Amino acid sequence: MSGQSTAAIRREGLWSKAVYKFSRDRAGLVSLAIVSIYTIVALGAWGGLWATEWADVTGGKWMPVSSEHWFGTNIIGQDIFQRALFSTRTTFEVGFVVALLATAVGALLGAVAGFFSGSWIDEIALWMMGVLDSIPFYLFVAAIAFALQDNPYAMHVAMIATFWTTVARLVRGEVIKLKSLEYVEAAHAIGVPEIVIIFRHILPNTFHILLVQGTITFVAAIKSEVILSFLGLGVKEGMSWGLMISESTMEVMAGFFNNFLAASAFLFVLVMAFNMFSDALQDALDPKKV
Amino acid sequence: METLQYIIRKLITGIPLLLGVTFISFMLMVYFGPDKTYELLGKNATQEQIDEIRHQLGYDQPFFIRYADYLKELVTLDFGHSDSTGEPVSGLLGRTMPISLALIIPGFVLGNLIAIILALTAAYHRGSWVDRLIMGFSVVGMSISFLIVIIAFQILLSSSYGLNLFPVRGWNMSTFGNYLSYVTVPTLATVFVSLGYNTRFYRAVIVEEMTRDHVRTARAFGVPPARLFYKNILKNCMIPIITRVIFSIPLVVISGSLLIESYFGIPGVGKVTFDAITTGDQPVLKAVVGMTAVLFVMAQLVTDILYRAVDPRVTLK
Repeated sequence: MSGQSTAAIRREGLWSKAVYKFSRDRAGLVSLAIVSIYTIVALGAWGGLWATEWADVTGGKWMPVSSEHWFGTNIIGQDIFQRALFSTRTTFEVGFVVALLATAVGALLGAVAGFFSGSWIDEIALWMMGVLDSIPFYLFVAAIAFALQDNPYAMHVAMIATFWTTVARLVRGEVIKLKSLEYVEAAHAIGVPEIVIIFRHILPNTFHILLVQGTITFVAAIKSEVILSFLGLGVKEGMSWGLMISESTMEVMAGFFNNFLAASAFLFVLVMAFNMFSDALQDALDPKKV
Repeated sequence: METLQYIIRKLITGIPLLLGVTFISFMLMVYFGPDKTYELLGKNATQEQIDEIRHQLGYDQPFFIRYADYLKELVTLDFGHSDSTGEPVSGLLGRTMPISLALIIPGFVLGNLIAIILALTAAYHRGSWVDRLIMGFSVVGMSISFLIVIIAFQILLSSSYGLNLFPVRGWNMSTFGNYLSYVTVPTLATVFVSLGYNTRFYRAVIVEEMTRDHVRTARAFGVPPARLFYKNILKNCMIPIITRVIFSIPLVVISGSLLIESYFGIPGVGKVTFDAITTGDQPVLKAVVGMTAVLFVMAQLVTDILYRAVDPRVTLK
């Protein structure tokens, strides 16, 4: 639906304008490039192209940086560079699943609540958001991890259950605004069923909010994953930057910082790029943003 | 009188929220939580002993009776004794609460105050290099994980690889000097992490207010910048600022300090609650969760009353 601005008749739509604005935003383009590189790294690790020896002992304890071990080795002689690369895959898995599902749930419930605002459906949706927002996040995750008996997806479930409320609140507000517009009234008048109005006529018009919120949720998810994995509540199988930092706390006390620095740097660059990408997206899509 | 009526009405409308939070938490943390039966039993327990322990812990009761008992405990504020240590829950919380508060308050206050000052500065120089510098720093601040900040600050300030100025971990509030030496590194970490998000939020609020017509008019009448910012802008921004500050209090009190407390080995509420979840110490969990829910309802009430105080146009209805 985007990129059609090159058509013979130049149309001025939200998307064509957004693409034009984004293509002129230098910080946005750089951040998009960095995120793309990370995505390729994650896909490659997922497809087994690189970082296949992340769990193998390939060297001695705490070996320094060399051409063989780009970031040195950790306490038991595993290659830190490979582990950091492999963790990228875990991060994208968590971020993608959580961002996609939390945004979908939020869009669905927010749209329904907004469309029926003032009715009991809205009241229940608002009550649910209020309740979930009032439970301390880390305790909620710990509780879900126990309730699901150490299921590897306990962390995902907890994050989706907490993150959808923000999306839902924003979509609800936008839907309340949209539903009083003439085109919705016209749809009502010609007898379009309510469910079609919500999902075909109103919800697609909130897509720009969903896109921006999706990127924000992605960042929140990967930042939470690191802390949860550190606390022992997050990733159970495989490797993640949080687990690397957790391993490294002992090494740091002994004066070996490679593991900590590698995981921190990978995480920082990705989150920073994603934040900037999200900002550029917001600037491109929201003409009113200051 | 009107205010009192309002408070009572507001407290009553807070009941569904209280019930929701306590119900979900009860289901997750207590009903599906870890089973303590076999930890409390000796080896080779007989069926009678098992039954007796389960009865003591209330495991043999149906779900809704256990939940009703919990609500009764919440109303009477009597949560019994901790399963793990046998200490009364009220005593446990009374001991750990002040530690968490003393740990978190300096960082919380400074994090918000400095952020407001930075946001005002950025908004005042909107579009210039000062603004871009401040906003650039806040994106960097937003992008560094809290965990990394804690570890990095600890290496730089309290270990022999850095300045080695402060104790690495632990807690001691016996004298003010001790308190300062233990609280400094956690406070710096909290401020560093909260500055990014706070500054961005406050700047957006302030810039939006700056573009209003009344500000332009005031400027046209020659109101000096300091007065303009204080009286025409900051005061009108108080509602979103109050909302953000007050609503983050319940979470800051309960779980905001969890990471710091577990990393620095500080015996506060966050640590106690986390341990209670992992060991299934139900009396402690029930008390903490109930307290959080009550704090949220109170926060709603306090924000509404403060709205009235800062903006006379708001009516309490």
